[in-house]
Amino acid sequence: MTRWRGSAAQVIVLGLLAIFVLLPFYWVVAGSFRTPEEVIARAAPWFPRSLTLEHYGNLLRQSPFPTYLLNSLIVAFGTMAFTVVVSTLAAYGFYRLRFPGREWLLNATLLAYAFPGVLLIVPMYGMMSTLGLIDSLMSLIVINVTFAAPFAVWMMKAFFQTIPLELEEAAILDGASRFQVLTRIMLPLTAPGVASIAIFAFVMSWTEYMFASILILSDDQRTLPVGLAGIIGQYQIDWGLLLAGATLITLPVVILFAMIGRYFVEGMTAGAVK
Amino acid sequence: MRIRTPLILGAATAVAVSALSAGTVQAQTELLIWHMEQPPHRVDRIQELLDEFNAANPGIVVRQEPQNWGEIYAKAPAAVAAGNAPDLLFAIPDFAPLLQGIGALQPVDEIVAGLDNAHGFYDAAVEPYAYDGGIWAVPLYNMAISLWYHRPMLEAAGVTPPETWDDWVAAVETLSTDGVHGIGLPANRHLYTDQTTYALMVNAGASELYNDDGTVRFDNPETAAALDFYGRLFAFSPPDAANWTWGEAEACFASQTCAMILQFTVITTYDTQTDGDPADLGVVAIPHAASADGGTISYSNGVMLLTDDPEKRAATEAFLTFLMEPETYGRFLNMEPGLFLPVTETGAEADSFWSDPMAERYRPQIETMLENSQAGRLFGFTSGNIFPSIAAISAQNLIAQATQAVVLDDMAAVEAASEIQERMEDAIR
Repeated sequence: MTRWRGSAAQVIVLGLLAIFVLLPFYWVVAGSFRTPEEVIARAAPWFPRSLTLEHYGNLLRQSPFPTYLLNSLIVAFGTMAFTVVVSTLAAYGFYRLRFPGREWLLNATLLAYAFPGVLLIVPMYGMMSTLGLIDSLMSLIVINVTFAAPFAVWMMKAFFQTIPLELEEAAILDGASRFQVLTRIMLPLTAPGVASIAIFAFVMSWTEYMFASILILSDDQRTLPVGLAGIIGQYQIDWGLLLAGATLITLPVVILFAMIGRYFVEGMTAGAVK
Repeated sequence: MRIRTPLILGAATAVAVSALSAGTVQAQTELLIWHMEQPPHRVDRIQELLDEFNAANPGIVVRQEPQNWGEIYAKAPAAVAAGNAPDLLFAIPDFAPLLQGIGALQPVDEIVAGLDNAHGFYDAAVEPYAYDGGIWAVPLYNMAISLWYHRPMLEAAGVTPPETWDDWVAAVETLSTDGVHGIGLPANRHLYTDQTTYALMVNAGASELYNDDGTVRFDNPETAAALDFYGRLFAFSPPDAANWTWGEAEACFASQTCAMILQFTVITTYDTQTDGDPADLGVVAIPHAASADGGTISYSNGVMLLTDDPEKRAATEAFLTFLMEPETYGRFLNMEPGLFLPVTETGAEADSFWSDPMAERYRPQIETMLENSQAGRLFGFTSGNIFPSIAAISAQNLIAQATQAVVLDDMAAVEAASEIQERMEDAIR
C-alpha cells in the first residue's frame, strides 16, 4: 500500500513536471498551425479551431529559412565533429601523459569560460578578419569548438578515469600503439561520454547567437537563430511565422536526442558519479 | 618548336584575355550596402531596385547585405576597425554619432544638397544628421509614432478621438471594460518605452533633453508631468504590458484587446493578420497637455557613406539619385507599406508611393501619419542643437528607466526625473 502510494505520488509529481515543461512547447507547436487571427487572439482556445500550414508555407517558400537551416546543420555537425576529435585526444593526453604543467594546463582550458562572450566580440572579429574567415561558416565552427572543447575535455577525462589501467597495459603488451589503445580500447568503452560531448557541442552550436550575428555578414551564410530573428522583424511581427520557425528550429535537436539521447543521459550520469 | 609555338600563343592569349577581363572588372565600381531591413519581403524589394539600377548602370554594381539592428552597434565599429566595413550603412540619428566619433564617416553635404534641390528634403529629416561641420547621412525615410485606435470601439462608447490629455485619460477610462483595455503602454528598459515616454514628453513641452550649453535638462516640471501622466495611462494597460515591445502592443491592438496604442504603424498586421475593415482603423496625432503644442517622436532613417574612394562616392551619388527619383522612391518606401514615410516633397506626392495596393486601401491613415511626422522630434536632436552624447543616454534606455521607476516602483514623477537626470549626467560624463 505504501509502495503504491509512493508510485502514485511519483506519477503525479512527474506528470505536473511534464506539463510544466511541455506546455510552452505545446503552445508554440499548436500556435504554428493556427490561423493568423487565432494566433494573436488574447484568449486563444487550447486546441486550434482550424488548422493551417500557411505559416510553414510562408517560411519555407518566401524566406531563406532553408538556407539558414543548411548553414546551421553544417556549423553544428562541424562543431560536433571537431569537438569530439579535439576533446578526446586532449582528454586522453591529460589523463595518460605525464608532462610538466599538466594540471595547470588542464585548469587553464577553463579560462575560455572566464570572460563574458560580449567582451570577446571585437578581438574575435579582428582575429577572424586577419585569418580571412569573416562571413565564413568556418569562423563559427572555430569559435564554437573553442567554447565547447574545455567542458568536453574535462568530461572525457572523467570517463577515461573510469577505465581500468590494466586494459590499456594489456593492449600495449599485445603491441598496440597509444593511438590504437585510444581508438580501439578507450573510445568504445567511453561511447556514452563521446555521445554526451557530441550532443553538448551540437546543441551549443545550434543555439549560438552572438558570434553568428557578428561574424556573418551575408544572408546566404547566416545560421538559424540569427536568420530567424531577421525574418520575424522588429516593429511588425508575424507571429505565425515566428511560431513555425520556432517549431522547425527545435526539430533537429529533438531528432538527435531521439537517436542518441539515451547515451547522453547515461554519459551525464556516469561522468557525475565517477 | 612546333609544340611550343601554339603553347606560347595560347598562354599569351590567355594572359591577354585575363588582362582584359581584369580591366573590365576594375572598371566596375562595387558598392556594398548594409541595411537593417531584414524581413524577406523588404530584402526582395531592395534587391528589385538594385537589379534595376545595376542594369541601367553597367559601370556600377550595388550589393546588399542585410544586418540586424540588435547587433549593428557592435558589429559596425568592429568591421571598421578590421577594415572590412561596407561602403554604405543605414542609420538612425543616434547611431550615426557612434561612427562619426571614430572618424569612419564621410560628410555627404554635397549629395544632400543635390537631392534637396531636386526633391526638397523636409528640414526635420536632415537636421538630426547635421553637426560638427557636416551632414553625416542622407535621409531616406521617416518613421513617426501616432495614436492608433479602433473606431467602432470608440463610437460604441460614445468617445471621440482625444486631442488633449484630459480627453485622453477620460477616453481610456471609458473604453476600459471587461476584457478590453483602454490603452496598452510598455514600461520596461527598452527602446519602445523610450519612444512612448518621449512621445508624451514632446506633448508636455519637454522635447529638449539638453540645454544650449550641452548640459542635461531632464529634471524639469514638464518632464515630471509627462512621467506622471504616463503612470495614469499605464494603469489601464494589460497586466503584462510592462514587458512589451512593439510586436506585443501591436498584437494586443490587432486582437481588439487594446482599444488604443502608440505605435509607428499597425497597418500591415491589421491588414494581414486580422479581418478588420480599413475604415475601422483610426489614427490621430498623440494628444497633448493643455499647456503644450502637439508633436511626436520621429526617426529620420538615413544612409551613411563610409568609403573615401572618389569613384565610390560618385557611384553612391548616382545610386541615391536613382533611389530618390519619384518613380522609384515610392517603391522603396513601400518595401513595408504604411511604415516608411517620405522625407522629400516629391516623394510625398509620388504615384509610386500612393499606388501600392495597401497604400491605396489605407490612404487616409497614411496621410495622417505623414502629417504627424511633420511635427516629429527626436531626443537629443532637437532645435538645431545636436549633442552626440545622446548615444550614451539612448544606449542605456535611461528615459525608459524613468518611466519604469514611476510605473513599477511607484516613485514620484518629480523624484524620478531628478534621479534619472543624475544618471544621464553620469552617462555622458
